[in-house]
Amino acid sequence: MKLQRMRIEQLRQFRKPFVLDNLQTGLNLIHGPNESGKSTLVRAIRAAFFERYRSTAVDDLRPWGDSAAAPTIELDFEHDKRTWRLTKSFLQRKRCDLVVGTETYSEDDAEEKLAELLGYQYPKRGASKAEHWGIPGLLWVEQGTGQDIEQAIEHAGDHLKSALNSMVGEVASSGGDDLIETVRSQRDTLLTGTGKPRGDYLKLEKDRAQYELEIEELKERVHKYQEQVDRLGKLTQDYEQAEAERPWEDAQRQLEEARVRYQQVERLEQQQNQEKATLSQLQQNHRLLQQNKEHLEGLSRQLEGRKAELDRAERDLATAEAQTPMIAGRLSEARSAYEQAEKQRKLAGLLQTRQRLEQDVRRLEQQKQVLTDNLAKAKEYHQQLEQARQQARENRIDAELVKRLRATGNQLNEETIRSRTIATRLSWQLDAGASLTLNDESLTGQGEQQLLEESTLVIPGVGTLGITPGGEELASTRRKLKTLEENLEEQLKTLGVESVQQAEDRLSAFESAARAVKHADELFKSLAPAGLEQLISDQKEAEVELEKAKTQLEATPKPDPKENVPALEEAEAAFTRAGTALDKAETDDRTHQSSLSALKQARDNAKTEWQRLADEEKSPERQQQLRQITTDLANIEKQQAELQASLERREREIRDARPDFLKQDIERYQNAVNQLRQTQENRGRELRDIKVRLEAWGAEGLEEQLNEKEAEYDQCNRRYQELHRRAQALDLLLNLLTEKRQALTRRLQAPLQKHLNHYLSVLFPEASLEVDEQLRPGTFSRGTELGQITELSFGAREQMGLISRLAYADLLREAGRPTLVILDDTLVHSDSDRLEDMKRILFDAASRHQILLFTCHPEKWQDLGVPPVDIQASKGVPNGT
Amino acid sequence: MPKFLHTADWQMGRTFTRFETEDGAALVEARFEAIETLAQLANEHECDAVLVAGDVFDAQTVSDRTIRRVFNATKAFVGPWVMLPGNHDAALAESVWTRAQRLGAVPENVHLALQPGVIDLEAQGLSILCAPLTQRHTYGDLTEPFSGYETPEDFLRVGLAHGSVQGLLPDEIDSTNPIAPDRAKASRLDYLALGDWHGTKQIDERTWYSGTPEPERFRNNEAGNALIVEVSEPGATPTVTSLPTGRYQWHQWRETLAVHSDLEQLLERLNTLPESAVVDLRLEGSVTLAGEETLLKALSVAEARFRSLRCERSGLQLTPTDQDIAALKADGYVGEVVESLRERQEGAQDDVARDALAILAGMLREREQEVGQ
Repeated sequence: MKLQRMRIEQLRQFRKPFVLDNLQTGLNLIHGPNESGKSTLVRAIRAAFFERYRSTAVDDLRPWGDSAAAPTIELDFEHDKRTWRLTKSFLQRKRCDLVVGTETYSEDDAEEKLAELLGYQYPKRGASKAEHWGIPGLLWVEQGTGQDIEQAIEHAGDHLKSALNSMVGEVASSGGDDLIETVRSQRDTLLTGTGKPRGDYLKLEKDRAQYELEIEELKERVHKYQEQVDRLGKLTQDYEQAEAERPWEDAQRQLEEARVRYQQVERLEQQQNQEKATLSQLQQNHRLLQQNKEHLEGLSRQLEGRKAELDRAERDLATAEAQTPMIAGRLSEARSAYEQAEKQRKLAGLLQTRQRLEQDVRRLEQQKQVLTDNLAKAKEYHQQLEQARQQARENRIDAELVKRLRATGNQLNEETIRSRTIATRLSWQLDAGASLTLNDESLTGQGEQQLLEESTLVIPGVGTLGITPGGEELASTRRKLKTLEENLEEQLKTLGVESVQQAEDRLSAFESAARAVKHADELFKSLAPAGLEQLISDQKEAEVELEKAKTQLEATPKPDPKENVPALEEAEAAFTRAGTALDKAETDDRTHQSSLSALKQARDNAKTEWQRLADEEKSPERQQQLRQITTDLANIEKQQAELQASLERREREIRDARPDFLKQDIERYQNAVNQLRQTQENRGRELRDIKVRLEAWGAEGLEEQLNEKEAEYDQCNRRYQELHRRAQALDLLLNLLTEKRQALTRRLQAPLQKHLNHYLSVLFPEASLEVDEQLRPGTFSRGTELGQITELSFGAREQMGLISRLAYADLLREAGRPTLVILDDTLVHSDSDRLEDMKRILFDAASRHQILLFTCHPEKWQDLGVPPVDIQASKGVPNGT
Repeated sequence: MPKFLHTADWQMGRTFTRFETEDGAALVEARFEAIETLAQLANEHECDAVLVAGDVFDAQTVSDRTIRRVFNATKAFVGPWVMLPGNHDAALAESVWTRAQRLGAVPENVHLALQPGVIDLEAQGLSILCAPLTQRHTYGDLTEPFSGYETPEDFLRVGLAHGSVQGLLPDEIDSTNPIAPDRAKASRLDYLALGDWHGTKQIDERTWYSGTPEPERFRNNEAGNALIVEVSEPGATPTVTSLPTGRYQWHQWRETLAVHSDLEQLLERLNTLPESAVVDLRLEGSVTLAGEETLLKALSVAEARFRSLRCERSGLQLTPTDQDIAALKADGYVGEVVESLRERQEGAQDDVARDALAILAGMLREREQEVGQ
């Protein structure tokens, strides 16, 4: 197919007619900047084919704002050596005309013709969508969709297959895929993916198993029922026969007979036992007599024995007596050694006591001397102390009071002096014998007195003179003075002294005495802390102890210095040893004495025994006894023989009667009777049980139930078999259909793969791209890389998409189908190297197909080797034909 | 002039496994109706008694309801009925009969021959010599004692037994419960009423199998009758009349289809059958897809018409003709699948392939019809 010319009018921005002609067989590069109408041209071609002329969904074709427009497209192309002209108008003037060679088609016929030619379909209503585009959808690549190859192939679907029919023969099937889907969905209602039953089929299978189970159970029960019926028949017969024959009565009779026989045997056994007891008594008697006889006969033998025993006892005694002196000697030696050791030990003790006493005397004498000296000194210090104390007692005075006294005295002196200065001085010089009386005091001679108070001076014979010292101060001084004088007087009185000086002296004496007391007391206390009496008594005690020690020493005998006295410890150890030796010697002696007396006793006993036997042996009673015993023994032996014979006889009799068997017979017959009766009773019981059971079971109508159940099973099974066969058939059908379809696809796969490899080798020399069963490019491998095409980069996917489309175009061309490749601004994501390769591919493809390449980047495609067509420039061209 | 009705093998309590539930129920019901029919016939023909020669019940443990219904169905005829236990309902220690007695279901005019011996029907002048089965199977001739049974001189001696007459019945020579072929003569019987064989069959002039009154299987011809037996006097030759009692006729056809006309003939024959037919078809051979379509349509019509129709077609191959395939438009690989299935079917007698082909043809036909519309 070769598009030669296109003309559009009243279509989007092409309000005026626009013609693109001189389109070439191979590659056509059509370029124009954005908005120049490049995409409109592509849209126009698509609309001319895909959109129904009467479609109302093509408003996008209308020029903007022109509601009266009738967008018109005119296409001239050549295919199959015939010229085709398509004229299609939309919206305001809906028309479609197709002239093929000399034939003319219009309206729907024209559109169907086109659809059949190119292999696409129209939408039932509305705008054409990707799913309607069929083969052109694959070869006409819209801007930016170059990589979406899978979708496009799917939409091309049946068109592709029928288009490729001529290549692969008559193998494709119209509607075959729908058929597969139908078969699959029907199969899937019966079988799971792995071929297991499901749904109704599964349910029937289970029901069938359930029925089988129930039938088996019912059969089992019917079988049981029949067994029970048979058992009932047999039992009834047995029961009645037993009732008629009564076998247990025979057994009872036999039992009675056996019992009688057994009782007889029991009696025999009793007699036997009695005789056996008698025999055993006789035997006992015999034994006793025998013993007596033996005893009597044994006396002489015993006598000899006794004599030997006596001799032995005497021998032993003699031996022991021989040892006596030796043992007594050892004892006396031990005793004297013990006494010597004891003496030594006493001497050693005495010596030690004396030494200790002598030491005591020495120590006590010394102590006594010290105490005597101390006592003398103490007495002296005591005397000094007493003297000092006496001194202190005599001069005791309160130091504080003395101090105050001193102060008062001083104050008085001061006041007196002061008063004298202010006092009225009365001085007199009386003639001898004259006297005056001043204040009742007689004044004679010469004198002076300071008067501080109102005074009366009586001059004898003259009268009385009153003197009143003048001044206020004098009065107060006089009062103070008086107070002080009274105080002083008072204090002196208190202290019991005459004057202040005396008080001072006494205080000094007292203090010195106190010091002397302290000194004497300290000295005294150093010697006699507990007092003088204690010291005296200590001294007396020491004297007494000394006296006592001396007395003791004198009382202690003085050892003989010539004697060699060992130390006390040594003496005591020797004493202990001697004591032990003595104990042993005494013990030996005692043992010896007691063994001696025991031996004597033994000898005496032996002698007595021997004597007694010797007497007895010779007695006449013994002879008599012996004779009697011999006679008795003979009698007893005779009786024994008789009894034994009788016992043996009876024993045989009993043995012949077989009492053990008789006993078993009784048991056996008893058991038989019991068992026979029991059996019959059991039969009766079982009969009743079975009857009851059978009545109950019979009422259930088991066999009828079984029949019904089998009918149900049969129904179920029939339905199951139907479904089973259907499932198998559907499975087979699905397998066959799928298989055949795959075979078909494989036949198309090979040529497509060939074309794909042709292009791919240009892009990636070492790569391969597998075509899958849906004829889609699938697994891509390059060296060690392996993956799906969808995992490649966008650019690579676009390139793969394009070469896949070209491969399809090649395949379609081989099948004699029209191929027109339209690429709208494709490969924009390819780098320059890859683009170079793609250009080679496009150039190669263009040798087989017409390719319209629309672009807004003409510079990228300069080296395609074809003259570019500039839309802008073409717009200026006047309307073509 | 004594006259009695001879019947046998009622097989009450039987259910039918191979039918649809509804058909099975109808067939069971028909057996109860058959008893009523017998009672009615006995009245119509003024019979003195009705003799049932064994297998009244199909099993020992049928439901109480079935037992009661059987005896209820006899009530139209008030004369004596003598029922003999057969191999299906033998008089065991515990049996359907003892249960019936316990239930109180047995009317007074029904005599149960549970012991071997003679039942004298005084009023009717009939001595019935009975040989009931008291075990499920016996290997000796139970009618042997008949010779020793003494009966009143002016009474008819009528034997009643259940088993196989030795040497006369096909395929049953070695079967259990044997009966001597000359029993009637040997035991001076006026008539020997037999049961066990489900078709009506005469053994000699005095010995008959009455057959079952209502057919219950596809084999055994001459089922569905009862016998009216008339003996003018002791020693006289009996007059035996067979009367139809069956409601449904059972047909089992095994047909091989080779050419189209075979199919046409089969369908024509099917058309001639009455509506009361119970049909079991088993088809073999081969049929074209078009032929199968015709067959299916005809079967669908017949199913609705007959009491029961079952058709086993698994032995019938589908051989699509070129026209078939063209008509189905099975082109491309679907065509290949059809061919492959056809080959498998013919080569290996593969049922699955046959079914698959039928399914595929069905789908394609359906698709064609959709396209046609």
